[in-house]
Amino acid sequence: MNSTDVSSGRARLDLLDPLEVSKLGGLELITEGVVEGFLSGLHRSPRRGFSVEFAEHRMYQPGDELRYVDWKILGRNDRLYVKQFEEETNLRAMVVLDTSRSMAWTGSPATVLPKLAYAQRLIAALALVLIRQRDATGLITFDDDVRSVTPPRARLSHWRQLLGTLAGLEAGQGTAAEPALRRVVGQLRRRGLVVFVSDLLLDRALALKALRFLRHRGHQVLVLHIMDPAEVALGGPNEARFEDPESRAAVILRPRDWAKAYHDTVRAVVTEWRLACRRHGIAYHRVTTDSPFGVVLREALTPPSRLA
Amino acid sequence: MIGFLHPWMLAGLLAAGIPILLHLLARREPPTVVFPAVRYLVTTTREHQRRLKLQNWLLLLLRTLLVATLVLAAAGPTVPVSGVPGHAPSALVLILDNSPSSGTMAGGSPQLAQLVAEGRKILGRATPDDALWLVAADGIPRRGDRAALGELLDGLTVSPRRMELGGAITLAGEVLAAEAKPGEIVLLTDLQASALSEATPSAPLLIGRPGTPPPLNTGIGQIETGTQPWSSAGGRVSVVLVGDDSAGSVPVSAKLGERPARQALGRVGGTVALTLPGAPAGWWILTTALDPDEFRLDDRRVAAIRVAPVARVSWDSTSRFVAAASEVLASNGRILPGSEVTLGRLARGASVVQPPNDPAQLGALNRSLAARGLGWSFGNLSTTPTFTDSGAVVSRQRVVRRHTLQSTGSGRTGVIATVDGAPWIVRDGNVILLGSRLDPAWTDLPVSAGFMPFMDVLLNRLARGEAALGEGAPGDPVPLPDLVTTVRQGENEWRVEGGGLFQPHDAGVYYLLGGRDTVGAISVNPDPRESRLDRATDTQVRRLWKGARPVALDDAAEVAFSAASRGDLRGPLLWFALLAGMAEVGLASAWRRRV
Repeated sequence: MNSTDVSSGRARLDLLDPLEVSKLGGLELITEGVVEGFLSGLHRSPRRGFSVEFAEHRMYQPGDELRYVDWKILGRNDRLYVKQFEEETNLRAMVVLDTSRSMAWTGSPATVLPKLAYAQRLIAALALVLIRQRDATGLITFDDDVRSVTPPRARLSHWRQLLGTLAGLEAGQGTAAEPALRRVVGQLRRRGLVVFVSDLLLDRALALKALRFLRHRGHQVLVLHIMDPAEVALGGPNEARFEDPESRAAVILRPRDWAKAYHDTVRAVVTEWRLACRRHGIAYHRVTTDSPFGVVLREALTPPSRLA
Repeated sequence: MIGFLHPWMLAGLLAAGIPILLHLLARREPPTVVFPAVRYLVTTTREHQRRLKLQNWLLLLLRTLLVATLVLAAAGPTVPVSGVPGHAPSALVLILDNSPSSGTMAGGSPQLAQLVAEGRKILGRATPDDALWLVAADGIPRRGDRAALGELLDGLTVSPRRMELGGAITLAGEVLAAEAKPGEIVLLTDLQASALSEATPSAPLLIGRPGTPPPLNTGIGQIETGTQPWSSAGGRVSVVLVGDDSAGSVPVSAKLGERPARQALGRVGGTVALTLPGAPAGWWILTTALDPDEFRLDDRRVAAIRVAPVARVSWDSTSRFVAAASEVLASNGRILPGSEVTLGRLARGASVVQPPNDPAQLGALNRSLAARGLGWSFGNLSTTPTFTDSGAVVSRQRVVRRHTLQSTGSGRTGVIATVDGAPWIVRDGNVILLGSRLDPAWTDLPVSAGFMPFMDVLLNRLARGEAALGEGAPGDPVPLPDLVTTVRQGENEWRVEGGGLFQPHDAGVYYLLGGRDTVGAISVNPDPRESRLDRATDTQVRRLWKGARPVALDDAAEVAFSAASRGDLRGPLLWFALLAGMAEVGLASAWRRRV
């Protein structure tokens, strides 16, 4: 995909290399840039409401579906308004972010953002998109315990609060996703959207159990599996002792000898996650930290029906 | 046994440890890399770990094998290979046993002919680059090319000399010690059990021996002629038969010169006594014989016989033991009373002089000896107990008192018996001086069993200017009496030095001459051990000579030079190294792809 918007002549930050984008400015600035680029390329609102009960009008924004444009208002005062419905305006989303030590890792600090930094930017952009749609968005962070809980709000000022929380994140220790995911229940009393952002280096059975529980409560669940490119394709010195930063477990091997087998293992793990999620109606996306934010946002915000 | 052309290259075998060393070095802790997805690595390696460990060990083995094989190939290993047409230049000592037993007839021809034929075949396989020696029963190693040694082989006859096989093998080893080429000893022999003696072969030893058992044999092992000289009344001969017990009774004959023979039947292990009639005085050859069998050499044995009148002796009746012995000899007809020999004191004729009992008389006696022009005199009295040196005249006897016998001018000739190397009985002209009185207070000789024979020889032979009779075997050195100047056998004469050694070559009677007089004789006969033709077993041979390889005589030529017929292992080793290298590369890359 070309990263330059031909019509505007401006660079679309959502399609640039994440590391390059992160160098352009602070979290707020680049997030807005990314979301602007993303929305301008999408030509419609990324999400649709689920209810038919009309609630209010709002100004048309690029990306909104034309079928929600109120043609009567357009005819009366030549302005574009779209109709919003009760459920849509009341969508509550909770982002659950894994801040364990493994998330702070990058295989190539010079060229690739650490997983946590990448996730910070991605979540900021996602939250902005949601809040602009008047969807209330909250944030739960965890490592081996729940570290912070930001209740969902739909105001733009809340987005800046989220930014503050995201900017202040530091990598923790281990990974215990189940308590954090169960904390979502307290924050989303009605059906909502749960976005689980993690490198998934955790107890899969427990995590799936919690995700199934959320799904059972009627929430839409989206899993963003953050992976560093170096975790996908094994590399490194001729022989090395590979050590897990969390458990300190270690393996000595020659990456060259094991690259293919490792790649197969990773592929199998991803497939297992994907199948397990699909089996329970959970959307799953594998995200590598060298992927442009816009691509990931498009995948993440595409409704499950369109995935199918 | 594996040999190496460049053995110093074997030091490179240490390089075989390089893969192991690298393996150990590679086991050092590698750099640590923080990697969150270790669980994926664990999953990946878990199922391959055992296989990988096996593969790594196999690769290590292949690499070590590769290095070791290359080093071995560089050292140029060779192994003995029999039956190959050529061989590397080598040194070979061919020992051909032409001892008396090789004259045994086997298959219509002497055993020696078969040994020589096989020796010829072995020489036929030699190349101009080989160093060749031939050792026969005479014990002289002869070097030559195969043509020269072939001629020597053709000229070999059955030697009367016995061959000690152990000695021959040791000699061959000494010959090969000076050779740089790989050495080999080939022994062609009838492998007579009695000829085996210990040896440590210093080179590969191949033994070619007949495959057939030896024939039965009976031979004359010994003849006893009793005390000499024989009187004109004749004498008595005892013949001892040796060989195989199962041969039964065989006729034995004995004759003096060409006079009619007397015969009797005898068995192996027994003694046949034959009485021969009287003969004129002089020297005679006594020939004892058996009927011919497959081994002819021991069917005949000879001895020198002296026929002479007994001595007429005047003895000192005051010397108790001398008188008693003389009376016994006289009563048995071995001496007669008379004045031919005076026993005990110095007289005008032949005299046997004892030292005086009274030391005061010693000076007068010495002056009398000097007045007779004798070169010997009595010296100081020694009372240190000692023993005589065993010889033909006197066996080992204790001596407690003796006068030293001093040579006054004409040298130390005439010594008949010694004590600790010093003269004890000497002769000058017709006078014999005894260092000790024939009395038990001086020596044990008068009370020993050998006293009567000693007295007989002393009076009948020594006092009359003759020497003791000797015996020997062909090739063995025989000590000569002091006064002998010439040895004669038939037409052959050898000038000799009295008191030295004489080495008779053939069996027969050798007369000893002192000036123009025949003073004694040596009877030379084959070693009686040759009569036992039993062969040693291969087991005995291998036990006695480490590494010996006995083979049938007909196969010896084919197996000879096996020490130098060596196959070069470099080619196979290099091929093996190539295969090991290819296997290593193939397996390593295949396994890497598989992971």
